[in-house]
Amino acid sequence: MTLTDEELVARSVAGDSDSFNQLILRWERPIYALAYRQIGREEDARDVVQDAFLRAFRALPGFKGQAKFSSWLYRITLNLCRDFMRRDRRAPFVQPPDGVDIAELVPADTGHVDSIEDVVARDDLSRHVAKAMLTLPDEQRSAILLKEYHGLTFQEIAELQGCPLSTVKTRLYQGLTVLRRELQRRGAAPAGATGRSS
Amino acid sequence: MNDRRDCGNADVLMSYLYDEGDAAERQRFEAHLAACPACATEMAQLRGARDGLRAWTPPETVLDFRIVRDTPPVRGRFAWLAVPQMPAWAQLAAAALVVGVSVGISGLEVQYGAQGLHVRTGWQQAAAPGTVQPRVAFAAAQPSVSGSDAPWRAELTALEQRLRGELGPQAVAASSAQPGRVVAARGGRAMSDEEFLGRVRQLIEASESRQQRELALRITQAVRDFDTKRRTDLARMADGLGALEGRTGAVVSQQRDMLNYLVRVSQRQQ
Repeated sequence: MTLTDEELVARSVAGDSDSFNQLILRWERPIYALAYRQIGREEDARDVVQDAFLRAFRALPGFKGQAKFSSWLYRITLNLCRDFMRRDRRAPFVQPPDGVDIAELVPADTGHVDSIEDVVARDDLSRHVAKAMLTLPDEQRSAILLKEYHGLTFQEIAELQGCPLSTVKTRLYQGLTVLRRELQRRGAAPAGATGRSS
Repeated sequence: MNDRRDCGNADVLMSYLYDEGDAAERQRFEAHLAACPACATEMAQLRGARDGLRAWTPPETVLDFRIVRDTPPVRGRFAWLAVPQMPAWAQLAAAALVVGVSVGISGLEVQYGAQGLHVRTGWQQAAAPGTVQPRVAFAAAQPSVSGSDAPWRAELTALEQRLRGELGPQAVAASSAQPGRVVAARGGRAMSDEEFLGRVRQLIEASESRQQRELALRITQAVRDFDTKRRTDLARMADGLGALEGRTGAVVSQQRDMLNYLVRVSQRQQ
């Protein structure tokens, strides 16, 4: 029987650390992806993930279930990422980890085998997107990440960012517009992204 | 119906792009897109940007985080023996203190003479100055401590007498050759500083010369071993190369035979 997040949270609060470990297992990948896309460095993202789960574990008795556990975890992670980038004072960048072939970073497609040209082109685009995303303001980048990769609704993002729903849409719109222009400037715009600037 | 209010409206554009919002608003904007090339282009560009985002994947990594509770240490019967966490200098100081106190209590006495190093504790009877107190005599000098009727007592006494008999002439002979040495060993009189320093220098020189000899011997041994190993390796390499050459020669010979055979066959057919 698969327990819901809320049930696992309740058990964890009661002192069952195995239940919290199940929550970690369920959410560590999305949290890592969010941290990596925010910070741009694998090792730092791993540190942030570890810190996020530790903080969540310690703060669990104070979690009253006003929001979803995942939203609460996303908020902790985003706060840690923001703190990290302020503390780090370094321009974030994205680099492949040591010993990893960059072509292997492209997820395997179950339908067909990509040609090497496709893989290289996608990897090239991935690197351009990473760099372009890091030029965005923190709020716009977070909104896009939460919407695109984590499937949060406008309302959930608004609650997480503590702003009106219309502000979330504006941030998304502005972020996507800047991203499209930045990709165009880099000559890496995917099909459909080119065209007249509005 | 082409509603101009929707034109370039970020709120409506995002709701349509992400398919969130009510159905009526969506239908209305679809109608607007069909009639407004600017909004249609913008929508296509935003979709293109989203396509680009799909290509961005984080690297695979091993996470496997776990929360592990620290269990408090169990206090056993001998928990009081456990050394508390303290810095290394404090542990060193404590150890030195313990050793110092132990030495003080035991009345340790260290003597260095011609017969070597003597270490005594304060529990033994101190010898009167100027008297000879051989160590072997100590057990015999304590008859009242244990029963005098013990069977080992007679054996020990016999051993003492035998040792005295053996040591006596040697000591006399040594005293005639090196008078200062015996006197110093027996504690009859103290060595003068010059004598003591001279003796120490002699011992140091002897030790140094012995070490030099040992070092030279070991170096010679190492050189010999190295040379033997080198000769063995060279011989092996020569053997290996010879075998390789032999094998290569055999292959060449086989190929030559094969070629000759082919030539003969082809000539016959012609």
